[in-house]
Amino acid sequence: MNQTPDISPTTTALLVAPAAVLMFGVFVLPFLFLVVLSFWSQVPGSLSLDTSFTLANYVRIFTDSYYLGGLWTTLWLSGFVTLVCLLLALPLARWIVLHAGRAKGLLIGISILPLICGALLPTLGLVNLLSPLGFINGALKSMGLIQSSLPLLGNITGVTIGLVQAFLPLMVLPLINTIERIPHDYEMAAMSLGASPLVVWRRVLLPLMLPGIVAGSLLVFCAALTAFVTPQILGQGKVITFASLAYQQAAMVLDWPFASALGIVMLMFLALAGVLGALISRRLARAS
Amino acid sequence: MKRIACYAAVTAVSLFPCLPAFAQDYSGRTLVVGTWGGDIERLLKEHVAGPLEAKTGAKVEFLLGGSGDRLSKMVAERNNPTMDVTFQNIYEAPNALKEGLVVAPDAALVPAAADVWAGMNDGCYAMSLVGLGIAYSKAVFPEAPEWADLWNPELKGKMAYAPYPSSEGDGMLAVAARIAGVDESNPDAAFAKLAELGAPMLTYNSLDEVLTLMDAGEIAAAPMISGYVISNLENYEGIGFVFPKDPGPVLVRDMVCQVANSPEPELAQMFIDLALGVDTQTAYAQQVNFGPTNSKVVLSDEEAARVINTPEEVDSLLQLDWEYVITQRSDWTDRWNKQILGQ
Repeated sequence: MNQTPDISPTTTALLVAPAAVLMFGVFVLPFLFLVVLSFWSQVPGSLSLDTSFTLANYVRIFTDSYYLGGLWTTLWLSGFVTLVCLLLALPLARWIVLHAGRAKGLLIGISILPLICGALLPTLGLVNLLSPLGFINGALKSMGLIQSSLPLLGNITGVTIGLVQAFLPLMVLPLINTIERIPHDYEMAAMSLGASPLVVWRRVLLPLMLPGIVAGSLLVFCAALTAFVTPQILGQGKVITFASLAYQQAAMVLDWPFASALGIVMLMFLALAGVLGALISRRLARAS
Repeated sequence: MKRIACYAAVTAVSLFPCLPAFAQDYSGRTLVVGTWGGDIERLLKEHVAGPLEAKTGAKVEFLLGGSGDRLSKMVAERNNPTMDVTFQNIYEAPNALKEGLVVAPDAALVPAAADVWAGMNDGCYAMSLVGLGIAYSKAVFPEAPEWADLWNPELKGKMAYAPYPSSEGDGMLAVAARIAGVDESNPDAAFAKLAELGAPMLTYNSLDEVLTLMDAGEIAAAPMISGYVISNLENYEGIGFVFPKDPGPVLVRDMVCQVANSPEPELAQMFIDLALGVDTQTAYAQQVNFGPTNSKVVLSDEEAARVINTPEEVDSLLQLDWEYVITQRSDWTDRWNKQILGQ
């Protein structure tokens, strides 16, 4: 049995201090500044800030139908991407665990490639695939299946394809981890008792996979909620998400207080998703 | 002998302030220049950074990106700037000067500024002249269109725009206002008229993206800035570019600015001086069809035909009240999002 060596509190504090200082400096302090900034305002027609306290930015977000619409689009798009990732990742992760054999490491490596590549290059590659003159439309036209190009860019379809491609690994990895821990005997036992494959999935496998599903869903949802590059490029300015609105306000309009408020609202939803995920995980742990 | 040496020393010391700054050794120092990538970066490296590095021993480092990124960097670093020179659009330059972010143009510091056409150094130094015209698909327009031709109901939803806010977007609003019989000081009429063109088929992030689709006839037309488009026309047989007449093309100027309180003001002034010089300005005109602002640049007739290069040509262009336009940025961005993109 492994024994944890005794470490004094002072040593622990010294070991933790560099990371804590770094986190405080590069995350906590800027975050606090972001919060403060969101309650300031831009002097109209100027690049200067009015530092008097105001709720105007938040009022604008929650009373203007355009920003509410952007918030709603971002939320349901993130939920939809999470669902699609889940539906694709479940059979993929299970197949990798049960049938990949020696190729398992290679397949896991391939499946996490989108995470390693970053968002920009795969997204630009997708533009070539999905554009009206791209590979997919070209192939369909040459086969005589369509006459004019299918609109695969500048809409929810294109953005969903891009986000699923980017974040599928975040669902696959926790699921592989969970499925590996489910003894194959459970499935055999259920089937020997007369359960159909569907019943085995519904009543045996899915409940046991739930921790992985919750973890993966939380990761994909949060990543999709804050995604910027993929919606910006594949949405072609027509799919308005909160991240693209925040970028427009921060980098192009230079209304930093309003951009900060948009960022804080997005972070509030991230926190809410995190709390929900934690509650579900705790409930699952209690049930098991 | 001693007396001669003494005279020589006194003469050298007294002349020292008059010596060109190039004579100093700037080895180990770095000039940071914010600009656009692609051809602009290449031209600046060849005609400005290279000669400057050779003459001074300093290193020139380029920060590439959009002018909005650079403006926000200047605001964020207002008290401790890290960038010495920045290239901005005309609509940003006067405001940047008003906010104290850049140094006012001064021919005493940048001698080549005296050669720039009178009245063009507005906020910063005028670097190049381009006009907002129409890039169009020849499959859709067999003959070069006028602005009003874009309002053909059959073309609704077939336009492409640059991301807003931008000089292209503001210029198109000004055109729409004039088509509606007013000017950009009446944004209600301008946005209502522009909305008649429908939501754009594409908000493009790269020139290739929009030109490829236009070449295939998927996009009918786009308001675009002349230089880059004209340079690319030889690659796209199906695309034309025109400076319309009624109203004329919208004048857009690229500006080069010395960042206020930057770490290397002398190197910044030398860089700007070379950028405004005849050599660089000629290369801009010949290679990317950006009109020179330096009055001493001499172009062939063929080259001159492709660029805006005289005050008379500038006068014939539609000039916006950029100082007013910039104050409307937040409101107009909201309107663009809702009335143009969100319709």
